[in-house]
Amino acid sequence: MTAIPDLKAQKYDRQLRLWAASGQAALENANVCLLNATTTGTEILKNLILPDNAIVDQKDVSSNFFLDTSCIGKSKSLAIVEYLRELNEDVKGHHDERSPEYLIVEEPSFFDQFTMIIATSLSDTLALKLASICEAANTPLFLVKCLGFTGMFRIQAGENTIIETHPENFSDLRLDMPFPAFLEYVKEFDFDKMDSSEHGHVPFLVVLQHYLQVWKAAHDGKLPASYSERNEFKELLKKDMRSYDEENFEEAISHVWRLASTSGVPSELKSILDDPSCENITKDSTNFWIIARAIRDFVQNEGSGLLPLPGKLPDMKADTKGYVRLQQIYRQKAIEDYEAVHSRVQGLLTSVGLLSDAIDSREIEEFCKFASHVKVIRYRRLEQEYLTEPNTTTICQWLEESDPQNNIVHYVIFRAADLFVKEHGSLKGRDEEETVQLLEDCTTNVLTSIGIPNNKAVALTTDRLKPYIINFARYNGAELPNIASLMGGLVAQEVIKIITRQYIPVNNTCIYDGMNATTATYVL
Amino acid sequence: MTVPEAKRQRRENMLDTQEENAHSLDSSSPQPVETVTYANEDSVMTDSSQVEEPETNGHIVPLNSAEITTALESCKILVIGAGGLGCEILKNLALTGFNDIHVIDMDTIDLSNLNRQFLFRSADVGKSKALVAAEFVMNRMPGVKITPYMGRIQDKDEDYYSQFQIVICGLDSIEARRWINAMLVSLVDDESPESLIPMVDGGTEGFKGQARVILPTITSCYECSLDMFNKPNSFPICTIANTPRLPEHCIEWASVLEWPRVFPDKKYDTDNPEHISWLYETALTRAKKFNIDGVSYFLTQGVLVLRLVYGKFLISMALSAACCNEAFKIATSVAPFLNNYMMYTGNDGVYTYTFEHQKKPECPVCGTVAIKIDIDPDMILEDFLDVLKEKPDTQLKKPSLRTATKALYMQAPPPLEKASRPNLVLKMGDLVEDGDEITVTDVALPVSMQLKVKLITK
Repeated sequence: MTAIPDLKAQKYDRQLRLWAASGQAALENANVCLLNATTTGTEILKNLILPDNAIVDQKDVSSNFFLDTSCIGKSKSLAIVEYLRELNEDVKGHHDERSPEYLIVEEPSFFDQFTMIIATSLSDTLALKLASICEAANTPLFLVKCLGFTGMFRIQAGENTIIETHPENFSDLRLDMPFPAFLEYVKEFDFDKMDSSEHGHVPFLVVLQHYLQVWKAAHDGKLPASYSERNEFKELLKKDMRSYDEENFEEAISHVWRLASTSGVPSELKSILDDPSCENITKDSTNFWIIARAIRDFVQNEGSGLLPLPGKLPDMKADTKGYVRLQQIYRQKAIEDYEAVHSRVQGLLTSVGLLSDAIDSREIEEFCKFASHVKVIRYRRLEQEYLTEPNTTTICQWLEESDPQNNIVHYVIFRAADLFVKEHGSLKGRDEEETVQLLEDCTTNVLTSIGIPNNKAVALTTDRLKPYIINFARYNGAELPNIASLMGGLVAQEVIKIITRQYIPVNNTCIYDGMNATTATYVL
Repeated sequence: MTVPEAKRQRRENMLDTQEENAHSLDSSSPQPVETVTYANEDSVMTDSSQVEEPETNGHIVPLNSAEITTALESCKILVIGAGGLGCEILKNLALTGFNDIHVIDMDTIDLSNLNRQFLFRSADVGKSKALVAAEFVMNRMPGVKITPYMGRIQDKDEDYYSQFQIVICGLDSIEARRWINAMLVSLVDDESPESLIPMVDGGTEGFKGQARVILPTITSCYECSLDMFNKPNSFPICTIANTPRLPEHCIEWASVLEWPRVFPDKKYDTDNPEHISWLYETALTRAKKFNIDGVSYFLTQGVLVLRLVYGKFLISMALSAACCNEAFKIATSVAPFLNNYMMYTGNDGVYTYTFEHQKKPECPVCGTVAIKIDIDPDMILEDFLDVLKEKPDTQLKKPSLRTATKALYMQAPPPLEKASRPNLVLKMGDLVEDGDEITVTDVALPVSMQLKVKLITK
């Protein structure tokens, strides 16, 4: 009887589809801390609990959907943890009554136990302190703010390397540089002797390669290089179609444009392979960089300038047998390439004094498969953004853009609001005119602190930011449930991306405007 | 201001906005490109057609105003669907301050719903989604009235739908959306602004999704944008386990239930032909048992590869919240609502594209122009039916065709089907003439569709 795994598989049915088994394991081992369980915070937590088994810590819970009248008199954070546990009985939840401020200032070691920290509505002063605690412990940090129709989150997560970026519609067909085993296979086809059913079921990759060989024989071994040559090549294919709508030939013709680019190492990957982390492998190098280095060495040697073959084929018109055969040929080549990379990884591991099997072969296999799409994000530290290296010029440019929907304005105002609360207290229940005036002053101060000259800061505040300041004042310090829920969805998604190291997370700030229903992402 | 006055005022405000929208439709604003490109770190994704809207830079109503509460309290809103999106929508609307909410869902709660549909608990398995969701939210939010209905949207008539000021959809069924969209378009009466009921719709597919606002007859409707959606490709677990109908169901059964049972420690690899072959054979055996045709190696691979990319996830949380935010703005006029479409993708960062989807003059539901169609006179009627089924902008299943004077082919009732069947092998050129109008009816089509024939010899 396997009732329990079956039930679990059913319950996590959807997640397994998206995250696959490795991601699910990462989620199960995650230990997430939420500071300030505001409406937004609770939404994030709810979303994280539904898909995973994260252990949750949270403090300072305010009233929201997960509290009912029976909770009065109970600790709010305890009540929330109880309700959230109802959602997923496998989750371990803890709550803590101490204030985030106390923990950050007096007991920073508290945060060492977590794999991820999420803080909502934290003051910028505390956020900066928490960010340096997280930086030292190498713990990813999410800072989330949400007021009225606007919300934003900032990620600080050190160096994030992603192998499984899940690119869409990607395939590496090697039309211009076919590998020998495939060429051998293409030679098996005698197009002239086929009946029309066989002719209509030759996989288009074979069709294309067959005619490319014909072309090359007539053109000094060169491929159709220019637009007009490619059109000429298409005519060659069209001429031999047995019917006007022979699907496999149509597929072949539709792929001719791909000959315009040559197979090789894409530029973004090239910069990763040229990175000092890839050059200098030590025993402290992460798996990502060791495999990246093995790939680089592969490209320069066995690969003759090419990456390992992913071995993935798109669907195409063909009979089952023919398609499976083609798939096997591509897969065989992919396995050979992978094995070469694998032995290079083992060599590298041994050379720095590590066990040759220290890296799981699955990880190497995935890297080979997704090599052209792997990603490295180096998050800027909050301290750089606020104090040491603000992106003055770019922020100024974004602000001066005429597009009224440029969401960067909300970033400045969120920071101004933080200054406002620090200097004048709560945004709630104040006279609108007074709030607007004080917020304007704060905005100018924030712009100056970013490094914008005072006269320009004043001009930007009055000419550009004023309408948004008025709207912000009209929020009256309220957190709108829909915006909180929306931010909860977005943040939970990014949290899971970072925990599972799958898909590409935001770098580094995402701002949502619920008046216009727009989002924008900035490196701040 | 009395409640009815406030209502009328809101309607008028809304109509004002619509007039402006109508202008921007006239002005030759370029059709936005619908291909999704990904955001670079430093770029902002917006569409220029939004810029001209005067309210964009305008001021909102202060969020603590009493008029917001009054407007929300006088708004009767219908939620269609109480699944993943629907649960979120109900919770959000209740928290927002709507207090007269109706919800329709025909489904009962399944074990695999529990992890995403947070209003349901193990003890609720087998009960009505609409009833349990309504009870849960009312329990948590005293003062909110939620009226559940367990059943099909088609059970209800015009009178029922006319009682609402907003309809918000949390559905994953294209058919149901087409039906409710056509219903709301049909309710519009130019003499009575009350008859115009905005529809807010959200949908997801894996890391993609959309939120949109449809003002029936004024903005583009669901049917106008049908060609943007593919057919859904995920199936309820109970169908897979008990009542497979489609070849895809057999493949899902092989991969979701049989593979983990036979190989509990191994995950199948969609790039490994041996694994796919095993799943294909297993699915085929099952298909034979149920007399289902169409399980092929390609289909097996197609279904499995898609499985890893598509599915429903956190995106539905974000999008249902976006929909509720639009409902909030429509109900209260606190800020301009979405005009009219927001697309979302989340696999590479967070990316949205907000644009005005254009109304289609030849839309069978809200358009006024017949669809022009070129027909080869030598094509036989049966092949022409297949052409219609494959058209992405109509997505027909079993079309019945007639002209003003005769029935070309009728799927039902049986005597008519039998009488019109001989036409299937006749050439179109012998059945219709240039300039004829063919009326198409179909189970998938909520209204009839007019085709204007142009005979063109190929």
